[in-house]
Amino acid sequence: MPISMPAKLSAAAAALIALIVLPQLTSGYVVYLANLMLVYIILAIGLNILIGETGQFGLAHVAFYGIGIYTTAILTSRYGVPFPVAVIAGMLLAGAIGFLLGAVSFRMRDIYLALSTFAFGEAMQWVFKSWDAVTNGPNGMRIPQASLFGFRITNDHDAYYVVLAVAIVTVLVTILLMQSRLGRAFRAVRESEPAALALGVNVRRTKVIAFTLSAVYAGLAGGIFASFSSFIHPDSLGFTTTILVLTMIVVGGLGSIAGAVMGALILGLIQELLRQAPSYQEIIYGVILILFMMYAPKGVIGALKARFSRSGSAAK
Amino acid sequence: MTVTPFLSIKNLTVKFGGLTAVNDFSMDVMPGAIHALIGPNGAGKSTVFNCISRYYQPASGDILFRGQSLMRTPAHGTAGLGIARTFQNLELFNGISVLENVMVGIDAALARDGKRLSPRQMRSEAEAILERTGLANYRDEQADALDFGHQKLLELSRALAVKPQLLLLDEPAAGLRNREIAALDKLLVDLARKEGLTVILVEHVMQLVMSISDRITVLSFGQKIAEGLPAEVRQNQQVIEAYLGREGAAA
Repeated sequence: MPISMPAKLSAAAAALIALIVLPQLTSGYVVYLANLMLVYIILAIGLNILIGETGQFGLAHVAFYGIGIYTTAILTSRYGVPFPVAVIAGMLLAGAIGFLLGAVSFRMRDIYLALSTFAFGEAMQWVFKSWDAVTNGPNGMRIPQASLFGFRITNDHDAYYVVLAVAIVTVLVTILLMQSRLGRAFRAVRESEPAALALGVNVRRTKVIAFTLSAVYAGLAGGIFASFSSFIHPDSLGFTTTILVLTMIVVGGLGSIAGAVMGALILGLIQELLRQAPSYQEIIYGVILILFMMYAPKGVIGALKARFSRSGSAAK
Repeated sequence: MTVTPFLSIKNLTVKFGGLTAVNDFSMDVMPGAIHALIGPNGAGKSTVFNCISRYYQPASGDILFRGQSLMRTPAHGTAGLGIARTFQNLELFNGISVLENVMVGIDAALARDGKRLSPRQMRSEAEAILERTGLANYRDEQADALDFGHQKLLELSRALAVKPQLLLLDEPAAGLRNREIAALDKLLVDLARKEGLTVILVEHVMQLVMSISDRITVLSFGQKIAEGLPAEVRQNQQVIEAYLGREGAAA
């Protein structure tokens, strides 16, 4: 272990304190950005379970994110459902649809899986855009202010601690999950299906679980987004956003939770810098994706590990 | 009195399109035996393994494990019955550590026995297995960083972690040095004689096959051409012609 446990713990404690005092020191805009990045972290960790850990190229992540946002917005605004219940409903709906998508596509792999899930993502965006009665169609939809146990979230500052707590719990739960039997089964499926089968891993079921879980994370990210955002437009739920999240996990390092977090922060910043030039966004994500795939396939986290590892020669 | 075979292959036929890879093949493996399955490349040995581990569905025939047909068992169900295997062309979990490769095997044993281990116990159990196969020093390496012989040993370690009753070894000695083959020889004999494990061994290293096998079955072009004690098979004219060649004839 190149970095000692106490060093890791004190770094985590320092980061936590910085995160807690952040809203006291900065403007609303920075807090909005922080909220958005925390949502990206949840999105990226969810996609990493499917692509990074299990090796299944599902490219419909943004569809489940959208399902989370719309479900939360519709249930709270039209049916007066309490915000936390609406978020959970969004997670469950995203998970159920993710389960169905996984159940029909577990036989496919590589490019076939990528293409069919891509098509599903496009179809869902079309649903968001066209189902006027439910989603208010291409005009987008206002998201009402969330309220949590009687406490009304009126601005980004109010939402921040809720978003932060959810993101931290998500990261910790995922760390435990990836060290569990299920986490090992995900990686076994990624590395060798014949060996996974011979070792008692139900490959088909494991893939469907990965699809479902990944969709639940995206649904959660959507619900949390609805806590501080006042508007959702279907144009923001297109393939560009899936590519953005994919670029996050590749830049951070596939199969690494810390990598997904780092990638979310890095790409979140880049996206914000490019806000004035939206037409260049896709090109720049594409270039970053290609450069990392070619020169740093293990991402930022892989490069850091190679740097810190005692036997520098062992790092490939 | 007859002993029930531990594994009984009955009239197994496997076809790939128009090619018959295994033709009406039968073989009985007795409990606690080391039973070698040998033959020239392409004879169908690995195909037989893939049928036992339910990766291939045979065109006809049956495989009985402890008297029960395997034909309704899914591929992921064989570990739960106590069958573990290694692969001729390596099917390691390359991108994860040596230790975690073994842990996936331990997971299979725990699931079968309905047990749980703490992460610490899990780690020490995996380390104990690597100690036994001589890979303890490589525990934190990524699996694909090992050389070929060590990767073969890692596959064996992972299979042992399943705590199987029947172990299918597909060329475990390939890529090993003489000293490592001697250690493998001792390990396999220990497993069979002291722990009662039944082993089916596909191997080209004749020194190992002749030294440890209780019985040898010879496959050639998908058909059984001989079966018997090592000394009998060694003398069999058909085997010498099909497989051992001039080297065997001279022995």
